[in-house]
Amino acid sequence: MEFKFYAARPLLLAAATLSAGLAGPVFATQYLTLEQAQHVLYPDATTFRDAPLQLTSEQMQQVEKLSGLASRSVNWRVFSAYKDNQLLGHVVVDDVIGKYELISYVVALSPQAVVQQIEILSYRESHGFEIRSPAWRKQFVGKTAQAGLRVGDGVANISGATLSCTHVTDGVRRIAAVVQVALKA
Amino acid sequence: MMQRAQPWLGTLIGISLPAPLPGQDGQASAAIDAAFAAVALVHRHMSFHDPASDVAIINRLLPYQSAMVHPETAAVLRCALLLEDASNGLFNIACGDLLAAWGYLPAGENFAFGQQRSEPLSRHIITIDANGCVTRLRPGLIDLGGIAKGHAVDLAVAALRTAGVTTACVNAGGDLRAFGVCDFPVVVRNPRAPTRVGLTLQLRDQALATSACYFSTRRVDGITRSALINGIDGMPVTGQRSASVQAPTCMLADGLTKVVIATGDTSHSLLARFSATALLL
Repeated sequence: MEFKFYAARPLLLAAATLSAGLAGPVFATQYLTLEQAQHVLYPDATTFRDAPLQLTSEQMQQVEKLSGLASRSVNWRVFSAYKDNQLLGHVVVDDVIGKYELISYVVALSPQAVVQQIEILSYRESHGFEIRSPAWRKQFVGKTAQAGLRVGDGVANISGATLSCTHVTDGVRRIAAVVQVALKA
Repeated sequence: MMQRAQPWLGTLIGISLPAPLPGQDGQASAAIDAAFAAVALVHRHMSFHDPASDVAIINRLLPYQSAMVHPETAAVLRCALLLEDASNGLFNIACGDLLAAWGYLPAGENFAFGQQRSEPLSRHIITIDANGCVTRLRPGLIDLGGIAKGHAVDLAVAALRTAGVTTACVNAGGDLRAFGVCDFPVVVRNPRAPTRVGLTLQLRDQALATSACYFSTRRVDGITRSALINGIDGMPVTGQRSASVQAPTCMLADGLTKVVIATGDTSHSLLARFSATALLL
């Protein structure tokens, strides 16, 4: 792994976001809102029930043993997807922070704690990637192609050396262990 | 604008559709699902890490043993061997031993890797026939990390088109391809300050890939290493440059960046041969 990544607690994430905001514009892409992601993950679900988890210290030890990673957090944001009264699976929300980037993502797991899908909610570079400066953005505003297509505001692709996402895959492994320990049917 | 991203191939794969598809709401979502499924296929068959992948099966072959591989693995291997020949070995997938010895790939208990020092890499360690049967000719580990991401992007583009999408952009951690009638803004990182803008450009109906070592350079045993290897002398590519290549397919763009970053030659004869252009930052 190229960099030592550590996982952010929500508070730390908020603080980092704020400081990046103060330092200047940042590169950020919002892929899905949480609600959109829920429907992408479980299109057949009729309801999503808020089902926050609080792990006991014994469960946290089990998570560490299963995942081989520090269990990090007592509290987890979980939504359970139902079609009528049938449980389809769980959606776990998490954030990770790397050397350059902050990533929010969700993991869908079956009632048997098998990972079914991962979707990124948002990606943000934390150290003042100044590409959303007004001058840069101006060249795209109102730009339309023949079919009336428009590139969205602040939406750009980055090309460069590949940034590893090991911290996301570690996070998914930890979440799989959390659901297995606390929610497995 | 509809955008989604999932983690595959060790990085984030982003897909952007600038306009909704005509018809039902679920159609764009289903098209993106199909594109991610194509990326997942590459992940499954071409991962160095997964012992069940085609790459791991090839790496376990003894000399003159053969194995059948998935048609998409075969497509990547053929392109890789073509680039190896055309570049006189500068592009060389036989770099798995060095990358594992330097800690960029997991060594794994089954791998007794041979080459650990910078010396010329073996050439033609495998061959592939028309049916997708791979035969090992010489010892050494292959790694498709320098080209498979590009093919994953091309397959995702093909899946989107098949599903009726006319305009989109697929980005696999910096290797990207756009199709349709829309300009997609692309920022190339400044290789000397990778969180800053090096260059902005518009991508339309073409692929762009960038290689650089700013995220992978580190000292191993007192020697500077990176995840980019010159396939002729086995030396790591170091320095503060980045090479971007524009090409008709992302697999070609991805592979050709390795030739340009190793040579520093933006007018290398290979580029014209594959209808590609390059720039160094």
